[in-house]
Amino acid sequence: MTEQEASTMMSPEEVSTVVGDYKAGWHDPENSTIRFDNGLSEQVVRDISALKDEPEWMTEFRVKAYRHYEKRPMPTWGNMSLLEQIDFDNICYFLRSGEGTETNWDDVPEDIRNTFQKLGIPEAEQKWLSGVTAQYESEAVYHSIREDLVKQGVIFLDMDSGLREYPELVKKWFCSVIPYSDNKFSALNTAVWSGGSFIYVPKGVHVEMPVQAYFRINAKNMGQFERTLIIADEGSSIHYVEGCTAPTYSSDSLHSAVVELIALPGAYIRYSTVQNWSANVYNLVTKRGIAHENATIEWVDGNLGSKLTMKYPSVILKGEGAHAEVISVAYSGKGQHQDTGAKIHHLASNTTSKILSKSISKDGGRGSYRGLVTVSAKAENCKVNVVCDALILDEESRSDTYPTMEVANSTARCEHEASVSKVSDEQLFYLMSRGHAENEALAMIVNGFFEPFTRELPMEYAVELNHLMALEMEGSIG
Amino acid sequence: MDAASQYLSLDEPHRANHLWRYSPWRKVHPTGKVGEIPTSLASPTLTLTSLSGGVVLAGISLEKSSGANQVLHHADAVTESFLKAITTDSAFTLRVENNFIASEPIFLDIDTGDSPCAVHLTLDVGRHCEFELITQIDGAAPWTGLLRSGRIGEGTILNDVVIGHTDAGTFLRVDNISIGRDAQVKTGTVSSGSERTKADLRYRMGEIGGHLRVLGSILSSDKMHLDHHIEIHHDAPETFSRLEWHSACGGKSRTVGTGMLRIVDGAHGADASQLFQNLLLSKGAKADSIPELEVSEHNVVGCGHGTASGPVDEDQMFYLESRGFDTDQARDTLVAAFLNSTLIAMGSETMHEWLTNHLQEELADLSS
Repeated sequence: MTEQEASTMMSPEEVSTVVGDYKAGWHDPENSTIRFDNGLSEQVVRDISALKDEPEWMTEFRVKAYRHYEKRPMPTWGNMSLLEQIDFDNICYFLRSGEGTETNWDDVPEDIRNTFQKLGIPEAEQKWLSGVTAQYESEAVYHSIREDLVKQGVIFLDMDSGLREYPELVKKWFCSVIPYSDNKFSALNTAVWSGGSFIYVPKGVHVEMPVQAYFRINAKNMGQFERTLIIADEGSSIHYVEGCTAPTYSSDSLHSAVVELIALPGAYIRYSTVQNWSANVYNLVTKRGIAHENATIEWVDGNLGSKLTMKYPSVILKGEGAHAEVISVAYSGKGQHQDTGAKIHHLASNTTSKILSKSISKDGGRGSYRGLVTVSAKAENCKVNVVCDALILDEESRSDTYPTMEVANSTARCEHEASVSKVSDEQLFYLMSRGHAENEALAMIVNGFFEPFTRELPMEYAVELNHLMALEMEGSIG
Repeated sequence: MDAASQYLSLDEPHRANHLWRYSPWRKVHPTGKVGEIPTSLASPTLTLTSLSGGVVLAGISLEKSSGANQVLHHADAVTESFLKAITTDSAFTLRVENNFIASEPIFLDIDTGDSPCAVHLTLDVGRHCEFELITQIDGAAPWTGLLRSGRIGEGTILNDVVIGHTDAGTFLRVDNISIGRDAQVKTGTVSSGSERTKADLRYRMGEIGGHLRVLGSILSSDKMHLDHHIEIHHDAPETFSRLEWHSACGGKSRTVGTGMLRIVDGAHGADASQLFQNLLLSKGAKADSIPELEVSEHNVVGCGHGTASGPVDEDQMFYLESRGFDTDQARDTLVAAFLNSTLIAMGSETMHEWLTNHLQEELADLSS
């Protein structure tokens, strides 16, 4: 550990003060094979592309995005005071830790392998996953997929390999859902993206068990900019699960991903996230999918960690009969602001959507729901249902709801409802009168509040989430 | 700094601010040149009578005043400073003495005439009053500005209805009203005129025990663009508010309802909700809603909001048609019932009867 690292790393006591029982807050010694100097310039963008030996079109695409990023102002909405604190010049935009992407855990460098073992990834892979990508810093260090899926033509690669092996497919769909000019952070990601997943599911193929990507930031002042592209061809289906953690430092890191989903006619994509970044990570993510005729896209989105999350999973319902669903939960603890929500655009007739958002604020945390639903003039007979519930657990915390509904077709039926409340004394009393301690009772109520989300997760994730929430509730008073 | 200097020092508001998302300030400004403060605006004619046209009782009066002295809370800086700047010679105070009680609604007519005009009306309502006030804005002015500010005194029971009924043009309305301790206020908005309305209605519950109902019946037809923003600030404990906003939208018109319920830290026992309902009656009609909540107090009775947009309910149509209504009659009945559900809650039977009679013509326009 360098002197500088030691000076910016928190003591265990400080860590405990800031993040409570954050379990994934350790960090390994940084054994990078390539680490760029902190800061961003056009040369850094070109160097990342050169290092990956990318085709010319991708290099130029990155440079265009970088120039747009430079011109684009920071958002003028949301938590601007936290956004202004991001020091873009003090972030490392590329760090390579391994020698490449391995397909066997034994070939992954030992310290990195140990990290993923602590996080339980190899074990989960054996038990219930169809494939795994493990990304450490800027690039994937491990990748695997079940043989039978390969035989059926399923492509599941890290994004860098996807670009190398399927350049035409990537060129066709890359930035097709989220153009680099969409927002400042999508431009940044397009300029410096590295890692992420590339998935193509052929027509009619159903990937029965989920595939998983796990993103780990280890170095301090790290920027992780993974790029994920999932294409589900006609009548196919896939469930993708991602998890994220990082060590706890006193200086901030930045995670700014872009995820694009394309569900072709009749396809089904579910994208589940359990984000548990440490409380020094800015999590500014753009996620959007396009659902064609009779296709379904579902975002199941859990946000527990980070300093500031700004994430609004979106679906463009482009084809008739398409369906979108967003189920999200957010937990905002001390010093955290979870600014999350969902966006659905009904462009075609007979499309339906459902948004369920649950948030809990505690210890001065702030939870915000920010949503947008639009129904275009040509989209007949659309149905929209939005429900937002928030719990505030103490006097210091805050909850906001900012929903927008724009309806331009008279046949649409759109509903939105939201409520903010505290944990009811009656519920606490009932559970305590049956022998539960106050903390246990509160944890049960909170788990029940999140139940519509956890029931949609794979069992292992749901159990872990309930356990995490129980830890967060220790010492709480309803 | 005077109001004019303050206005000129401000930047043009950005669309990212929900208040200006659907009606940019340059489209609301009388000349469209936002750097200008017009000096040639007229003052409308204000007449205060009882609803039947008689002389009002002693204890309530309308007098010319100096708008410059009015202090506003929580106002949008652009519209507040602009309206104050253009109404320095057109400011009035509606003064209501303590314990004033009227059995018949009070009627305040604001006749805009034919020229662009603006007025600043200060409501100075004393303690323990009990009355109803109907404020009607009519005339043919191409641009009308109305700034209402003031305070409703402790324990007063007030039903306050404002009807925007101008023939055409743009109507800018800003309300900034404080609700006193234990006051019970119903404030209704009936919007059926103007081509473009931009209303920014703000109510401050700054004293314990305030009780507020905000009601809207919006009739939008042809190419109207009716944009209402309603903010309710719960700054004191044990305050209660309900917002119910019904918009019926026909022709190629557009209604916008944006709301903000803000519960500050310390406003324990607050009980607040807002509901926007939009009835879309024709293919070209649009309805937008942004009901926002900011809650910084955990010990609340409840805070919620909802919005719903849709066409006339088919089951209800079927029910009426099966009982002998033809399609148009059934539809008209349902639209009238939809708007009436907020109209009826605005005040007494007398007030309701007057309002429904007054709106017959507009309802017919909506149906056509």
